[in-house]
Amino acid sequence: MKTKKVTVLNESGLHARPASVLVKTASRFKSEFYIKMYGYKVNGKSILGVMTLAAEAGAEMELIVDGPDEDEALEKLVKLFENKFNPAPP
Amino acid sequence: MKELQPKILSGKPAAPGIGVGNAFILRDDNKPVHPEKISDQEIEENIRKFENAREFLVQEYEKIKTIPDDYDVVEIIDAQIQALNDPEVTSTIKRKIKEENFSADYAIFSTFNDYIQLLESAGAQWAKDRTIDVVSIRDELIQATKEKKKEFDVIKGEIVFAEDIPPTVMVKLSRIKISGIVMERGGLTSHAVILSQSLGIPCVINAHWDRFQLQDGNDVIIDGSTGQVILRPSWKQKQEYLKRKEEQFSRFQKALEWARKPNKTSCGSEFTLRANVEFLEELPRLKTHGARGVGLLRTETILFESNEFDVWDQVEFYSKMVEAAEGHTVTIRLFDAGGDKLLENSENEANPFLGWRGIRMLLDKKEFLKKQLEAIYRVSGKFTGKVKILIPMVSSMEEIHEVKRHCIDVCSSLSRQHVPVDTETPIGIMVEVPSIALMAEYVAKHVDFFSLGTNDLTQYTLAVDRGNEKISHLFDSFHPSIWKLIKMSKDAADKEGIPVAICGEMASKPEAAACLLGLGIRDLSMNTGSIPLVKSVLCSNTLDEMKKLAERVLDADELEHIHELLEEWRPA
Repeated sequence: MKTKKVTVLNESGLHARPASVLVKTASRFKSEFYIKMYGYKVNGKSILGVMTLAAEAGAEMELIVDGPDEDEALEKLVKLFENKFNPAPP
Repeated sequence: MKELQPKILSGKPAAPGIGVGNAFILRDDNKPVHPEKISDQEIEENIRKFENAREFLVQEYEKIKTIPDDYDVVEIIDAQIQALNDPEVTSTIKRKIKEENFSADYAIFSTFNDYIQLLESAGAQWAKDRTIDVVSIRDELIQATKEKKKEFDVIKGEIVFAEDIPPTVMVKLSRIKISGIVMERGGLTSHAVILSQSLGIPCVINAHWDRFQLQDGNDVIIDGSTGQVILRPSWKQKQEYLKRKEEQFSRFQKALEWARKPNKTSCGSEFTLRANVEFLEELPRLKTHGARGVGLLRTETILFESNEFDVWDQVEFYSKMVEAAEGHTVTIRLFDAGGDKLLENSENEANPFLGWRGIRMLLDKKEFLKKQLEAIYRVSGKFTGKVKILIPMVSSMEEIHEVKRHCIDVCSSLSRQHVPVDTETPIGIMVEVPSIALMAEYVAKHVDFFSLGTNDLTQYTLAVDRGNEKISHLFDSFHPSIWKLIKMSKDAADKEGIPVAICGEMASKPEAAACLLGLGIRDLSMNTGSIPLVKSVLCSNTLDEMKKLAERVLDADELEHIHELLEEWRPA
């Protein structure tokens, strides 16, 4: 199991589109993915779960990845937060 | 079996008239879902129902995804598919069926509701906005678990009950000749209400009922003048209302006869009555009701429905309007809606009525303004002298100058392409913000006409939010200050020799119309349904009498006094 703390850098928070990108990315990996925020824990592959976090800009959260491809998954997911969920430059 | 007693619902009157018919409950969601328990033998079948519904819907969404090439639409559809495939949601629903023995539809219903509640209580506005999409997935899934789809099958003469009616559905309903509309929500300025007034369909809003009180097919009486709705009336009540309906009908027929008479007071002074219009469906009534053209063409719905303000869609729509006006003019009000309805990701405003709307939005979104002006000028070239441009929500001179510059640009660009345009197309403004009424003297030098929007003028002058029920008693267009602002605007316009029209709700009240005519405003625009009655009052009195009324109203310093003065002019 791997964990990492991240901050939402997007000005408008983790709204519908970034949430969708996050879930889509997470779903490509076999590992389980959870997000912990303010004592809540949601399944990071669940779009509705991620949306109910309603994370705004500056929100801090802990990403928890557990499974065979956890290293790669965590790296990709952290990147998304760092790039403000913009698609990586080609 | 036990007889159910009549039950009276009290709502807010929204469009006058009496309707007697059977109830039709319009559910855009479906029937209410009950927490139904199933036996262990039914578990498998219910799981399968849910799985099938889910797969069916995912396929449906994939199918429509291939139609638009609009990236935003694809993104929205993708988000819906993602929600349908949500692993947490899926496993919760299955668990509720398997372990709690709930039926598939209730398991779906309650699972999604938990998320909907969380989203609604979220701090971020975008999360609240998303609930609509989640509600629609929930309802579509439930719908898909059922064998047959419920069709939109209202029949003529029925009284439609709904939470709220979107404009597109309202247009469909208007073709069916229904007897009335009862809505739980809706404001007096909502599309559904404006359309029912225009089409003469009795309408009551803010009425509340529960599903035990009302069923499809129940006998119902609606009185759109008092806001009363009687469920399962007695035979006596029904006879009484049918009689009153007949009386109203013959009174209206008499008023309709006025529609054919010349627009003159009993002393021979002329005036003009025009229609406020939004949809093509309203046009056939223009002639029968005696409207001379369109004094206010609302363009919000057509532009919301049109793809990116497409110029050719607009040209077609405006052309049909001008044709229907049969030689009279059509005043096209530029797109007048808040930005929040138009753009995704735009911020919700704390005070939308004091916010980014009307010309303020158009001057920020110039591509929309230019497209709309291009469409209007193209039509002006086909129908010279028949089109006018009306600028909404103006609050400063700068805005007027800027719009006029765009008009010149659009005209010259079209002329360069050899498209005929009418460069003399009058450009007027809505006088609905007090700042402009106070500046009327100066403003009148730079525009071709004034159109007074009394609803907003009242709201802004009295500092009363017309949607706020707690202070709705304070919202009164007859307030002395409003009459004074109207008089100021009229005097300023006279000084510069430009015409003044009224297109607010005020003009649709016969007693107010008489007073306005007394003030010298001879051009009144209102919902089509109100024209005959207004006309009958204006035709049966002399201008002198109306002038006297106007003088006394202008002298009054109390609202109550004005109501007393006008009361005498209200037709029985």
